[in-house]
Amino acid sequence: MSGQIKKMIDSILQQRSKGSALIKSTTEAKIVMKGVNPSKYDINSPDDPDVIAKLKNIAQEFGVTV
Amino acid sequence: MINSVFSTAESTGDAVAEIKANINDKPMAVVYFVSSNYDQEKVAAEMQKAFPDSQLIGCSTAGEIVSGHMLKKGLVAMSLGEGVIEFADMEVISDLTSANSVNAAFDEFEKKLNQPISHLDFNKYVGLVLIDGMSCSEEYINERIGDLTDVLFIGGSAGDDLKFEKTWVHANGKAYNGAAVVALFKTVNGFDILKTESFDTSEKNLIPTKVDEATRTVHEFNGKSAIDAYAEAIGKDKEKAADFFMHNPVGLLVGEEPYVRSPQQVQGDSMVFYCAVKEGMELNVLESRDIVEDTKSDLNKKLQEVGQPKGIINFHCILRTLELEQKDQTEAYAALFNDIPTIGFSTYGETYIGHINQTSTMLLLK
Repeated sequence: MSGQIKKMIDSILQQRSKGSALIKSTTEAKIVMKGVNPSKYDINSPDDPDVIAKLKNIAQEFGVTV
Repeated sequence: MINSVFSTAESTGDAVAEIKANINDKPMAVVYFVSSNYDQEKVAAEMQKAFPDSQLIGCSTAGEIVSGHMLKKGLVAMSLGEGVIEFADMEVISDLTSANSVNAAFDEFEKKLNQPISHLDFNKYVGLVLIDGMSCSEEYINERIGDLTDVLFIGGSAGDDLKFEKTWVHANGKAYNGAAVVALFKTVNGFDILKTESFDTSEKNLIPTKVDEATRTVHEFNGKSAIDAYAEAIGKDKEKAADFFMHNPVGLLVGEEPYVRSPQQVQGDSMVFYCAVKEGMELNVLESRDIVEDTKSDLNKKLQEVGQPKGIINFHCILRTLELEQKDQTEAYAALFNDIPTIGFSTYGETYIGHINQTSTMLLLK
């Protein structure tokens, strides 16, 4: 299976930024600092369970749901 | 109104008196940075006595910056008043290992503002964060702050003039160890932030494959011993690799922008950093450029974009200060801020979204 990581990242960015480009960009940087680089994933990226677990944790820390 | 003032008087009383004498109004807030050579508790108390109606925040340093000067053993201060900010509050994060302690500080902000921190206008509100520079807690605290709010917090890790023994943060008349202080300002005309570092990226990447995050130690890059892999990447002998730490740090790239992680020392075949790195985090090997020229160019570009700010607070990495000193460029760097009321200090790390190294991270108040 593939594409799950990209969907999760997009969902976190959308929920957190609420349409603001500035907040989207700072949120992307926050996600990179937390250990997942959004630019490395697209819809073809395999569903790595370790990265998915990290993103679930990041979403929880941000107070959003994925 | 903004004033930036300084003193190099030897006694705490004289230094604070000189600061007070040059700030005539009753500012809403005073931000100050002070050499660790002064008695920190006395400075905090006397500054509060001098400015009883103001919110105060400050910390100890590894050198101070004020318009036109890079100082040693000084006290620099900036008053923020009418026309610049319309709200100021300072809180202390007394336990750097506890999310609850961060939450409590932000709960206080919410109470005073009477609205959730998540609802604040991030174009108007901006925060400062000053953290004990010997605590190794910056990553944790900055992450928690970033989780709680989209308001940008910038700042630095307190210094102690390169003694690496004890650093202090100050808020509203008291000085603390093992703590952080946070300020929240509502600006009248907005603000901007400039994070500038003087490095080229390269084609070479190092991926930490074995790390101890708590001690900021990388044991292995790319499956090899950290120092072997680093020396190979910069094309130097392993024995001499540490001589190039300042010139060739590594950077976490967000887009094209590096968030610098500076190596501090070699321990066995491992490398200790000034900033935590995580396993699997791709790090680019960086190559240094001229700090003065780069800062001048980035600052001019920003000023053309946003106009002349009323004041600048500059969080400037001690490693950059050391490089400027080596190259006899401290006066040239300080001169970049001749025409703008500026204060700053040489930090043990800067805050912009996370904990970073080898930058000048500046708050430009409009």
